Amino acid sequence: MSHVAPENNAGEYALSFNDLKVTFETSGPLVHAVKGLSLAVRPGEVVALVGESGSGKSVTSTAAMGLLPSNANISGEAKIGNVNVVGLEQGKMRKMRATDIAMVFQEPMTALNPVLTIERQLTEALELHGLAYGKAATQRAIELLEMVGIPEPDKRIKQYPHQFSGGQRQRIVIAMAISCDPKVIIADEPTTALDVTVQAEILDLLRELKDRLNTGILLITHNMGVVADMADQVAVMFQGSLVETGRVDQVLLHPQHPYTQRLLAAVPRLSSASITAENEPHSAQTAPAGRELVLEAKDLVLEYNMRGKIFRAVEGVSFDVAKGEVLGIVGESGSGKSTIAKAVIGLLPVAEGSLSVKGHNLPKLSPKQARVVRKQIGVIFQDPAASLNPRFPIGECITEPMVVHKVGTKASRIKRAEELLDAVKLPRNVINRYPHELSGGQRQRICIARALTLNPELLIADEPTSALDVSVQAVVLEMIQELQRDFNFACLFVSHDLAVVDMLADAVVVMRSGKAVEQGMVKNVLHAPTHDYTKRLLAAAPVPDPHAQAVRRDAWRVLNKTK
Amino acid sequence: MSNLNGKIPQDLTSIAEVEDAKLAAATEQSKSQSKIVLERFLKHKPAMISSVILVVITVIAFTSVGFGPIPGWWKLSYLDAGSVVNGGKPTLSLIPTWLGGSGITIGDHPFGQDSVGKDYFALVMNGAQKSIIIGVVVGAVATFLGAVIGAVAGYFRGWVDEVLMRITDLFIVIPLLVLAAVLGQIAGRSSGSIFALALVLGLVTWTGLARLVRGEILSLREREYVSAAQAMGSRTSRVIFKHLLPNTIGVIVVNATFAIAGAILLESSLSFLGFGVQPPESSLGLLISQYQNAFLTRPWLFWWPGMIIVVIALSVNFLGDGLRDAFDPRQSGKRRRPRAGLFALPTRKEKP
Amino acid sequence: MLKFILKRLGSAVGVLLGASLLLYILVINAGDPLGDLRESNADNREYLMQQRIEYMNLEQPWYLRYLTWLGGVGKCFAGSCDLGRNINGVEVSGLLANAASSTLRLVLLATVIAAVLGIAIGVLTAVRQYSGLDYLVTFLTFLFFSLPVFWAAVLLKEFMAIGYNNWLEDPQISIGTSILIGVVAGIVLQMLLAGSLKRRGLTFIITAIFVPLLLQYSVWLNFYRYPQMGPAIIVVLTVLLALSATAMSVGLKEKKVLYPALITAVLVLVMYYATFWLLKDANTWILLIGLVLAVLIPGLIGKFMGGRLSKLASGVSVLVGVVGAGLTVLDHIFRAWPGFLELKGRPIGTIGSSTANLGGGFWDSLLDNATQLLLPTIVLTIISLASYSRYTRSSMLEVQQQDYIRTARSKGLSERTVIFRHAFRNALIPIATIAAFDFAGLIGGAVVTETVFGWKGMGDMFSTGLHAVDPAPVMAFFLVTGTAAVLFNLLADIVYALLDPRIRV
Repeated sequence: MSHVAPENNAGEYALSFNDLKVTFETSGPLVHAVKGLSLAVRPGEVVALVGESGSGKSVTSTAAMGLLPSNANISGEAKIGNVNVVGLEQGKMRKMRATDIAMVFQEPMTALNPVLTIERQLTEALELHGLAYGKAATQRAIELLEMVGIPEPDKRIKQYPHQFSGGQRQRIVIAMAISCDPKVIIADEPTTALDVTVQAEILDLLRELKDRLNTGILLITHNMGVVADMADQVAVMFQGSLVETGRVDQVLLHPQHPYTQRLLAAVPRLSSASITAENEPHSAQTAPAGRELVLEAKDLVLEYNMRGKIFRAVEGVSFDVAKGEVLGIVGESGSGKSTIAKAVIGLLPVAEGSLSVKGHNLPKLSPKQARVVRKQIGVIFQDPAASLNPRFPIGECITEPMVVHKVGTKASRIKRAEELLDAVKLPRNVINRYPHELSGGQRQRICIARALTLNPELLIADEPTSALDVSVQAVVLEMIQELQRDFNFACLFVSHDLAVVDMLADAVVVMRSGKAVEQGMVKNVLHAPTHDYTKRLLAAAPVPDPHAQAVRRDAWRVLNKTK
Repeated sequence: MSNLNGKIPQDLTSIAEVEDAKLAAATEQSKSQSKIVLERFLKHKPAMISSVILVVITVIAFTSVGFGPIPGWWKLSYLDAGSVVNGGKPTLSLIPTWLGGSGITIGDHPFGQDSVGKDYFALVMNGAQKSIIIGVVVGAVATFLGAVIGAVAGYFRGWVDEVLMRITDLFIVIPLLVLAAVLGQIAGRSSGSIFALALVLGLVTWTGLARLVRGEILSLREREYVSAAQAMGSRTSRVIFKHLLPNTIGVIVVNATFAIAGAILLESSLSFLGFGVQPPESSLGLLISQYQNAFLTRPWLFWWPGMIIVVIALSVNFLGDGLRDAFDPRQSGKRRRPRAGLFALPTRKEKP
Repeated sequence: MLKFILKRLGSAVGVLLGASLLLYILVINAGDPLGDLRESNADNREYLMQQRIEYMNLEQPWYLRYLTWLGGVGKCFAGSCDLGRNINGVEVSGLLANAASSTLRLVLLATVIAAVLGIAIGVLTAVRQYSGLDYLVTFLTFLFFSLPVFWAAVLLKEFMAIGYNNWLEDPQISIGTSILIGVVAGIVLQMLLAGSLKRRGLTFIITAIFVPLLLQYSVWLNFYRYPQMGPAIIVVLTVLLALSATAMSVGLKEKKVLYPALITAVLVLVMYYATFWLLKDANTWILLIGLVLAVLIPGLIGKFMGGRLSKLASGVSVLVGVVGAGLTVLDHIFRAWPGFLELKGRPIGTIGSSTANLGGGFWDSLLDNATQLLLPTIVLTIISLASYSRYTRSSMLEVQQQDYIRTARSKGLSERTVIFRHAFRNALIPIATIAAFDFAGLIGGAVVTETVFGWKGMGDMFSTGLHAVDPAPVMAFFLVTGTAAVLFNLLADIVYALLDPRIRV
């Protein structure tokens, strides 16, 4: 952590922190969120601040904006240009926002005021800081929208946020951030809520703007691929302290600190794929003989009924999963991948086609027969915070399937719960704790235990790791793999993350707008894709290697132009 | 989690390991949600004070004049007229003699007497009893109906939901008080018992809670633990009664208390208008109605029943507020330093 | 948008029909309409019973009676309502006009005041969460929630009306009382203005000294019987307002806002003299036209002189214009007050919605209506003030947690802009739905309030009708209040759609 630490000539930095400490007063003990951080961002440079949840990276950025809640105590320095904003008067701090330091937020869906037009939201900062008024401000706002790539900006500027897509809203937030030519932009997980292809576009936009405006960017992210794609310098935070800083290739390719090493090792990686080459269409799925099919879908059609309007979420998809196999379903939001999982677990009726579990066609079963079939299906969901009933102790959560299907006695249920806790490597005394006492990763392990309680033949995992930190995700994925080896169940694994599917699945279905665009064995589809969309998806997913990522980025640009 | 830092190895290099170490080192007793809520509630001062006041009023109201066939400890009955002593003025005094008062004494008629010499303390206590009974019965009936109908409407949606929404609309065009007055008159003419009145009031006051429970269920049923329960083949009744309703308990309990306060006020209004409790029975609202014109000559006849209603309703409302804070600590808890004044001039300097 | 409104209107008519049927059935089963006659010993008992049966169509089955009533209501669309006869054979439609106007006036006024005040208090307490003011208001709202309407009404009648009327016979304020009032005013004002300890202390001291002096001076002037203001004070006040509004919005240096505001203040003075004789014997139309002009003219001045700040300049000018016009009207009211006191010695009314045979001019009858309306309006306002302020507070607190508020702050907007431009509109959205329920509650409250204050309004029609098991007046009550509620609900829906573009576009 030598050369990025600010020296005395702070003038050359757009943003610099010197021994920044932040503590929060809570009802309990003091929480030390940031423990003495020193870091600097030069104009035109991207510094990535990397860390997992609780590392203090967002607190750092909020401190620089002067937006920390009043129960925070800040010491040290946070300088924008030459001005230390720690302890700065609110009035002066307000004058610096937007003009000296601006921010791009994580959640574009909620970052814009729903009742004001885009015009109003863009021009108010211009007028407030005296850069342009009235018609001139509107004109400038239209230019900004054009700059961030909103089509027909002069018409769309009169619209409200809900009339734009998520990616477009993030572009608008970026337009807002650059509107007053700030010295530095803090981008707090700017692409986390977006699909990979949109993410690639937004990152491209940020890079272009930074070069054009010579703005410094402090990029806060947990995604090592994004770091490799964007950053010049990297700073790694863990538990409120910086553990490693340096140039991006140095940190990502030759990490020194054990935390960084483990973090990078935990990132699932796509095996090298030929995304530019014209690949031979793969031969029809040559199923090995003797597959014992557990789940089979034929021409599956699924529909949502939204107040009388029928919306087709899945159209004519066929696939099968056999015992001991993992089938990945990948796609972006709205592709219908989770809808399939919903139908398999019986939360959505099948509109057309067949969906059979061990030869029983689900749409044709009576409720009683369906219950028997469901006994053989285990489920893991995405959100560990919502997937356990907060009123049930962990033991009851795990044994609930046994209670529902009237399996075992009280003692045997407790015994089973203890076995399962061992299997997911949690201490047995957790049995009497409540979900709120566990972390997200631990809760997700409880969910896995619950899914396995009745020794299911089929496990449905709907984005089981997308809400988890990288290192926690690695633990959970490893656990699923290990358990699958032990219990030999079939698994339907739904994910937006191609790397995770690559690591876990045998076969894969790539979905887009309710249709399967490409499917087959992972080694074919993800390593030698034939469909353009699959290629684009693969190219858009960034890898944690700056050199490899530069190559992919160019490939992505080529693909995106031809789309 | 206060004394944990010491027990966790400091050289861990993974979030997952840190979390597991914390869990392994946790020594505190596990707390269920209900226990956490109870602890928060016990710390809520206004709610605790209100609880004490409510208990005291309830105990005095029921033991003093007796309930049904059980005799009370108070010597006079609310039905017996007597000779009016000293213009019926209250004999209760709380000012000690050394302060120039008449000493701390209860006297024969602490709340005074009415125009025919009935003991007003007995009358008011009898009325308070009625108010409490009506509040509790209405609260119970309305809460039961509201919770069940709201849950069913929220879970199944469809026609139940449609009917619930139409009934809600009904209360926009026929004010609650009007419908209650008509039903109160029917109940009063047919039986005259306060239980019939309470039942009828319960039948018209459940809609608010039903709407709230419905909204809560609508959002809860999208939670993944509910999906998980459905996916593992749980029966609908189990999903509703094990997973959904227990998690709406906060809304239900809080609004049950507000329903009680509302019912007490509604009954008093109806009795005041003559559509509630009918003479010879008495209630606090009826007493106020009878003596509103005695305000200048015998103010105590007006003050006592009114004060008792206000104190009961206020205590119940504060109790509900405490419960709400206990169930949903979002809006209390962390204290924020006050921000700048709304009408402050923009040039004013504020410290962050 | 139009489709949305028509759909809501259609379903509202359906609900209205269903509710009328339900209410009709319930009311005719609420007792025996002939009960009093059956117990009577009058000689012509049979005749009276026969007559009542005829008036009320008692020989018909219930559904025919209902349909007859509904048919009569249907005639309203042809311009001649037939709402049936009451128990004494009087045409209900004849009784309705007076009753409806006084009750609706009361309920609407109370709704508007409660909504405006309640929302303002709600915003203030949300912005100052956990301040002394917040705790005080929280306690007061709980108290108001727990207050029986009728009890509060009787208290107000006894203390405010009778107390004030007695005091007005010979208005004196003792030195002790004025100091007490000054201290209380000081405490309240420093709570409202907040700020640093020094600022609060200063506010308190100045108020606590100034208010008692003002009170004593006003007593010496005999202000309470002979109030006066005059053009000088009006001009001083409007100029002060123009200066402070400009200072609060953009600062006094901004001539583009200051000049239109000052010109408006001067115009107010000109108009004061120009309209003096016209207003001496005014009528409602003159006042309404005056109000429109007081908005229009300053608005245009601001628009033309404001340049790039035209919106702000119009806003400030309109504020100055409206306040100036209000002060002008107040001046005329002050002038009319001594004469009014001669006509009506005890001004604050406790019985009825207006004084019979009052005489006097426009200002006198205006004052009479206002003084009769005062107490019931206060009672009703208090009831719904509590819920408006409470809902606004929690809605504002909820909105302040939203991401877009953080975005707004990150642009460098001042706290006031964040609250009013970004938080307030979003916080109002849920309030629009509550308003409809609150309106129904107020109509219920009006029934009680009218009983206490002896108004012959809709509430009185309802309760005497119900006591006598007489459906015609009860249904007339329902017709008026139900329709009003539906219209109000519709208005709330429109406001909702206007506030929330996600519904509109």
